[in-house]
Amino acid sequence: MLSIFNSIPTHMDYKGQKLAEQIFQGIILVSAVIGFAYGLIIEQFGWTVYIVLAGFAVSCLLTLPPWPMYRQNPLSWQPALPDTTGETQQKPQENLKKKKHK
Amino acid sequence: MNTVLSRANSLFAFSLSVMAALTFGCFITTAFKDRSVPVDIHVSRVMLKNVDDFTGPRERSDLGFITFDLSANLQPIFDWNVKQLFLYLSAEYTTKTNALNQVVLWDKIVLRGENTKLNLKEMKSKYFFFDDGNGLRANKNITLTMSWNVVPNAGILPLVTGSGHMSVPFPESYETTKSY
Repeated sequence: MLSIFNSIPTHMDYKGQKLAEQIFQGIILVSAVIGFAYGLIIEQFGWTVYIVLAGFAVSCLLTLPPWPMYRQNPLSWQPALPDTTGETQQKPQENLKKKKHK
Repeated sequence: MNTVLSRANSLFAFSLSVMAALTFGCFITTAFKDRSVPVDIHVSRVMLKNVDDFTGPRERSDLGFITFDLSANLQPIFDWNVKQLFLYLSAEYTTKTNALNQVVLWDKIVLRGENTKLNLKEMKSKYFFFDDGNGLRANKNITLTMSWNVVPNAGILPLVTGSGHMSVPFPESYETTKSY
């Protein structure tokens, strides 16, 4: 059962994580300012709370699921090496050594 | 920020901090406001009895009955940081044994959104006006004041006394009714 949940991809790349954080902070701060001004004008603090909760809901929708816009800068991994025995296992070590020399 | 749960955590924590800051803002915008309004108290009838006080000193004590009119406009008190007002009418007087006696005669809760124009006529006191002795008879200066607790959404719980009070002299003898 849990493996089904684990198989759902939820990750964002690094730039996407930064973007998501900026988006939710911006939305909540803007809704807080709007809610504070509106509540102060109509003299109802309850509306301030509702507007901040609405901002919370919108930012949940925008930043919790890993939308494609948060996955546009994937890390470029090394290509997967064929899993074999013997000679080919030494190759990655050679590659590492070469990189160190550079 | 890598998984849904860690994003939900930071989102929730940030929202909660913002909400706390807004609540503090709500408090600070109303903290220095004067919540006193003029109150018009009028006493129409005073009656004095001398009865057994079984809760007090087991002697005959003075029991006063006051009929009063009350009018006040409470609208200026209410703002976005007020949930309700607890109004109470208290009598203050001096006796030989005590420099200050305070007795609450009547109270009322005014919730937000309710009628804020108080206009009460011929009200009887809700609670017994017992003196702990015989200090009410012929007491020339019994002062009625209305005060209120302001119950806020956030912040302090101010206790405000309304401006305007009424001083009544009490009758010289028991079981007599005096109209003013």
